[in-house]
Order: sequence, then structure tokens, then C-alpha cells
Amino acid sequence: MKYDTIIETEDLHKHYEVGGVAIKALDGVDLKFRRGEYSSIVGPSGSGKTTLFNMIGGLDRPTKGRVFIDEIDVSKLDAYELAWLRCHKVGYIFQTFNLLPVMTALENVSLPMIFAGMPRKEREKNAIEILDRVGLGNRLHHRPSELSAGQQQRVALARALANDPSIILADEPTGNLDSQTGHEIIQLLSSINKERGVTIIAATHDLKIIDVSDSVIFMRDGKVERVETRS
Amino acid sequence: MDGGKAPDSGVKGRVELPLTEAFRVSLEQIQRRLRRSGIIIASIALGIALLSHFLVTNLIFEAYGKVMGVTMEAYQFWLIVVSFIVCVIGLTNSSLIAVYERYREIGTMKSLGALDRHILELFLIESTIFGLVGGSLGFITGALSASVSSGSQIGFGALLSVQAFDLLLNFSYSVGLAVVLNIVSTMYPAYKAAKLRPVEALRYEI
Repeated sequence: MKYDTIIETEDLHKHYEVGGVAIKALDGVDLKFRRGEYSSIVGPSGSGKTTLFNMIGGLDRPTKGRVFIDEIDVSKLDAYELAWLRCHKVGYIFQTFNLLPVMTALENVSLPMIFAGMPRKEREKNAIEILDRVGLGNRLHHRPSELSAGQQQRVALARALANDPSIILADEPTGNLDSQTGHEIIQLLSSINKERGVTIIAATHDLKIIDVSDSVIFMRDGKVERVETRS
Repeated sequence: MDGGKAPDSGVKGRVELPLTEAFRVSLEQIQRRLRRSGIIIASIALGIALLSHFLVTNLIFEAYGKVMGVTMEAYQFWLIVVSFIVCVIGLTNSSLIAVYERYREIGTMKSLGALDRHILELFLIESTIFGLVGGSLGFITGALSASVSSGSQIGFGALLSVQAFDLLLNFSYSVGLAVVLNIVSTMYPAYKAAKLRPVEALRYEI
């Protein structure tokens, strides 16, 4: 059976130069991610998982090689098309949440929908619905500083879902959370993955994320060490 | 720009930031960061106040001089030059800091789909508002202090000889200077930040 591939990387390389020394953050990565799957990328720090994550999301450009998202070659996109991709196709969750501090939960979640050109009423209705889904229906008008770390990550998750993307990229989503709160976020990601059929890729150290994943990619020294498929 | 353009994926969608939305977001940003906004406006006002104090003093002495035969002294001219330099330094400094501390925010917005020009639009609106408010407040302060100090030197009657048109002209110079300088000093770092790839802006250390 041929699986429906949503993301494919082809001989992906990313080289940095730090103090005159060339570092191969990615050294020839060939991967395929199937639509609707929950995948984790694991590996020690410096193994290239965040770099891979940034390449897949179009946040950074590879030195060599290509990334395809839904058969679109990301390296061929111009600035406008990349913004379009980030806006409509991909939702990001960061370890440090990266919410806009001056905006309320509702405004943070609405922001991607502003960029998508959604009318105000529709935007608010959607944002309330999504925030309700992540369990923050009663925290709409709170700012990040008035929310706990777990709640902030829920807002970030809601924001990632705002434009109904086909992919959610989560970079160490539980890295700044205590184990109980982290567990709740993982469960929430997992249930949203099943409910909406959205593809989730998480770069992580957290064994609890690996437990709920359909496939696990082990990275070391910028290379894929092995891929474990479950289910 | 054509908002309907999208990669050949069959999915329709746009990336945009309508001016009304940009204006609303900027205004909200200013309100929410009230303390920070206050500091920026105050530092703009301070620079402009110093400059307009000397401009208006000059104006008063000139108008009075036409009646009394007094001319502007060289040191007054240099005071205006020095206060202009102080004004430029203070103003650019505060707007540079205001942008640098928001690099991470710029990176986040870009990761959510903002275009470079959306970022610039937001900063442009914000810095124009800061320039207008700070410049006006500064001119009023400067003009008042100039009136009091010159009035106490040569008599308050001298103030009456100042033409309203000249005052208005100086007001426009001062506010215009505040707006232009603030835009220039904000847009330079904002442009730099907007041009960065999101991942670079996100990890930017000042």
C-alpha cells in the first residue's frame, strides 16, 4: 500500500560556520512523514532535530537538498509564498511558547487569522471555539503573564490550530513544563491529532511524547539513525 | 499586491494585513505597553521641547527685535544647533531600543505568516503616532517654557509681537522633525528584523 506522504525531505543538508569551524547540523536527511501521523524526532541536543524542524516549517533555508510539503518544493518558494505556507499550512508550537505578551489569549489566537484575511466576526468565533477546545474557554481575555505555563502552551496550541493547518510542528513542546502539565499537553496534542487528522511532528527529549507517537525518528550528528514505526 | 496568489497546491488563501487591522493592532500595542510608550513619547517630547524652546525664544526675540532693534546673538543660534543634535540622539536612541527588544515578537509574527511589509507597516504606524504625540507635547512644553523665560527677561508684552503664523510654522517644523526622525530610526532596525528568516529573529540576542 502506498501511503499518503505529506512531507518529504530529500538529501537535506544544513551547514553552519561557527568560529571558522564548519558544523554539519544536517548531513543528508531523507525522510517521509505520512499524513495524519503523530511523529517524534528524538536525539541528543546538537543532533540536528531543531534544525530539521526549522527546515520542514520553512523557517530556515537548507544549504543543500529539498523539502516537499504536499508536493510543494519549499526551497522554490518566494517570500510571499513562504509566508502563505507558514500562515495556512503549518502551525508552530515553541518550547518557549512565544505568545505576544501584550495580547490576550483571544488576540493571540486571532492573529494568524488576521494574516489569513478572515473577517473579524468569524475570527473571534473561531478563536473562541479553539480556545474552548483546549480548555481555556474561561481565559479568553487573559494575557500570557496572567496564565500559567501550561495554559500559555495551550494558547500556543490554539494559535497553531487557528488557520486549520495540515501540519503542526512542535519544538520541545513540553520542555518548559512540569511533568504533569507536560503530560496534559501531550494528551491534548494526541487527541487533536486524531480528531482533526492533522499531522503532528514534535522534536523532543520527552519519553511520554514518544509513547503516543505513530513513528519515532532517532537523530544523531545530523543524520537519521533509525526510524521506528508503531501502530 | 495581489492577495489571491498562492502556491500551486489547489488551496486558496491569502496573506494580508488590512490597514484598519494594522492600525488597530498598533494602537493596542501602544496602549498595552503604556509605560514603554510613555517613556518613548516622553523622550521624543523632551528632545523636541529643548529644540522648540530655543526656536520659540528666537522667534520672540526676533519679533520683539523688529520693534526694539535687538538682534539675535550668535550663541542663540548655536544653542539651537546643539539642542537639535541632543534631540536627534535622544529620539533615535529610544526608538532603536523599542525595536530591538521586540525582535522575538517579529520572528513569532513571521512564523505565523506575516509578510515583511506587515511588520514594517505595524512599526510605521506606531512610530508615526509616537512622533505626532511626542512632537506636539514637546513643542507645547518648549513654547511655554520659552514664553515664560523670555517674558520674564524682556517683559511679557513682547510675546504679543509674535505672529501666529510663525508659531504655527515652528510647530510644524518640530512635529515634522519628530515624525521623520522617529520613522527613520524605527524603520532601519525594523527593516533589518523583518528581513531576517523567522528562525534568526527568534534566536536573536541583543
